[in-house]
Amino acid sequence: MGGVRTFPFHMSEEEQRRFAKAQERLDRLGGALPVVNVGETIQADEEAAFLRGHGTQLVDGKLVATVCGIVERVNKLISVRPLRARYNPGTGDVVVGRITEVVAPKRWKVDVNSKQDAQLMLSAVNLPGGLQRRRTADDELNMRNFFEERDLISAEVQAVHQDGSIHLHTRSLKYGKLEKGQLTQVAPYLVKRLNHHFYQLKQFGLEIIFACNGYIWISGPSEIPDKKGASSELLVNVSNVNEMHQCTGNKESTVPTEKREKICRCANALRVLNALGLLIYPESIIDTYEASLMWGTDIKDMLSGEFHVKVLEREVSKRSKSV
Amino acid sequence: MVGLSAAERVYIEDGIAQDLRLDGRGRQHFRSLSIQTGVIPQANGSARVRLAGTDVIASVKAELGSPQPGRPGCGNMFISVECSPTAAPEFEGKGGEDTNLELAKALQRNFLGGASGAGAAIDLTTLIVIEGKVCWELYIDGLVLSSDGNILDALSIAVKAALSNTGIPKVQVMGGLSLEEADFELSDNPEEFSHLDTAQVPVTVTISKVGRYHIVDATAEEESQVSSAVSVAVNSKGLICGLTKSGTAGLDPSILMDMISVGKRVGLKTISSVETDIAAAERTLEAE
Repeated sequence: MGGVRTFPFHMSEEEQRRFAKAQERLDRLGGALPVVNVGETIQADEEAAFLRGHGTQLVDGKLVATVCGIVERVNKLISVRPLRARYNPGTGDVVVGRITEVVAPKRWKVDVNSKQDAQLMLSAVNLPGGLQRRRTADDELNMRNFFEERDLISAEVQAVHQDGSIHLHTRSLKYGKLEKGQLTQVAPYLVKRLNHHFYQLKQFGLEIIFACNGYIWISGPSEIPDKKGASSELLVNVSNVNEMHQCTGNKESTVPTEKREKICRCANALRVLNALGLLIYPESIIDTYEASLMWGTDIKDMLSGEFHVKVLEREVSKRSKSV
Repeated sequence: MVGLSAAERVYIEDGIAQDLRLDGRGRQHFRSLSIQTGVIPQANGSARVRLAGTDVIASVKAELGSPQPGRPGCGNMFISVECSPTAAPEFEGKGGEDTNLELAKALQRNFLGGASGAGAAIDLTTLIVIEGKVCWELYIDGLVLSSDGNILDALSIAVKAALSNTGIPKVQVMGGLSLEEADFELSDNPEEFSHLDTAQVPVTVTISKVGRYHIVDATAEEESQVSSAVSVAVNSKGLICGLTKSGTAGLDPSILMDMISVGKRVGLKTISSVETDIAAAERTLEAE
C-alpha cells in the first residue's frame, strides 16, 4: 500500500496529484503542530516538575503519549488531546441525539456519540401545561407519546457528573423533536464553538443545528416564528399529552423538492468539509455551498474527487492570501 | 442496522419519490468508488474497493490441487466472504454468519457457473495443469471492513479487480505421454506468471425497492427501508449472468422485469467505468 492515501471516492491520477500538492502547501502554511503518535516521547523538562495529564504515561522516567494527538501544555500540566475521539460533553453544549431507550423510572436514554448514552429526565423536558406543572404518574406512562425510541431530538447538556454520566435538558421551546430535515454526521472536533448553535442561513432559507457532538441537523426554516404565540398558548391550554403530540407531529406534508435540493447541497458541503478535515462553521458552509453553485457543480457531483480537490485548492489560496 | 425515526423514514421515502436522495443522487445513480489493486502482497491477486463508507477487500490465492472427479478438464474456484466485526455491531460473534453465507452464495451464483464448470466467470479449463490430475484452485476471499450499504456490489467489483490483478505462476509440464508418468515443475522466477482472462467477469448491481420506486446502490440508511431487492450480475456484453432476490416481500413480475432492465443498463455503465478504474489502478501499482 505504501504511503499512498486512499479515498472513498474515485480520483483520477491527475486529481490525486493536484490533491497531494494542495495538501502539501496546506501543511506548510499551517506551521508545525506538536503532534505525537502513540508511544512517542514527549519533551518535558527533567528538572522542572511536571504533571502527567490525560493521554500520557510515564515509562522508564520518560513521558510517553498513549494516544495520537496534539500536545497541550498548561503551566506544569502536560496532556495530549486526541485527534480522533468520541464526543466529550461539556455543560451548556447544544447536542443532537437519538433516543435509544425509554426506561423507567422517568428517563430516556439518548445516544449523543459519546462514550456512554446521555440521560434525559422526565423532569428536564417541557411538558404541556406549563413549566411548573407537577409530573404525574400519568405523564410517566405517556412518555413514549412524547419521545419515542429512535426519535431525533435537540437538547442541551445540563450537567456532566463525576462518574461520566451525562444529563440533558430540553427546557426551552427551541429544543425538542426534529423532523423534516436531514442528519449529517461529522467529526465532533471539527465543529467550531459558536455563540449560537442554532443558525439560520437566511440566503438559502435553511436552518442548521451545529450540534457540538457532530450530529448536524439541516432543515427548512421551522414554523416557530409565525407560530410562537400560538404554540406557547397551546402549552398552557393543552393538558393532554396525546393532544399535544398530535399538534407537533404533522407528518403528512412533504418537503418540496427545491427545499430538499438546498438541504441536500448543504449536507454535501458538510460531507466534503468533513472528508477534508476542514473546520465546520456557518461561513465555511456558506462558502462551500456558494462555490458549488459558482462552479455549476451538480449536487451529486459534490461528492466526487474533482470537487474535493477544488475545495481544498480554494482553501489553500484563501489561507495563503491571509498569511 | 441504522435505527431511523419515523420522520426520517418519511423523509427518505419522499426523497426517493422525488428522485433526489439524501446525498443528491437520483434513483439510478451509483456512488463514486475507488479501486486499489495489489493490497495484499502474500496473495496472488487482491483489490480494495471503497464506495463512500463501504470498504471491502477481496483476495485470490492460487494453489495446486486435483480436479473434481466429475469434471477432469476443469480447475476449481471457491468463494467465501467474511464480515469483520468492526464493520457493524451485528457482525460480532456468530451474528455475521448468516450475512457471510448469504453474500458468498450470491457471489458463487454469479461467478462459479454450473455444476459442470461451464459458464463460470473465468474459463475453468485454463486452470488445468495436467488433465484429470493437477489443476489450479482459486480461493477467493472477501472481507468486509466497514459497511455503508450495498456490500454485495462492492464485493463483486473487488473480486473482479482482484481476479484482474491475479498472477498464476508458470508451470512446466514434463514426463511421459501417459497420465501416471506426467510430472510438472513450478517456475522459481517470481517474474514469470500468467494473467487470467477476466473479460467475462460480471459485476453485480443491486436494485432495491423502497416504497413504490426502486433504487440502485442503496446506502445503509436506505437499506433499512428496503422491502425487497434484486441483485443482477451483468457482464460486459450486457448479458445477465446471475440473479439473486433478497427480502421477504414479493415482487410483481412486471416490476421484476423493470428492475432487471435497470440493472442491465446501470451494470453496463458500471462495468465499463470499473474496467477503466482497474486498468488505472494496475498502472499506479506498476509505477510504484
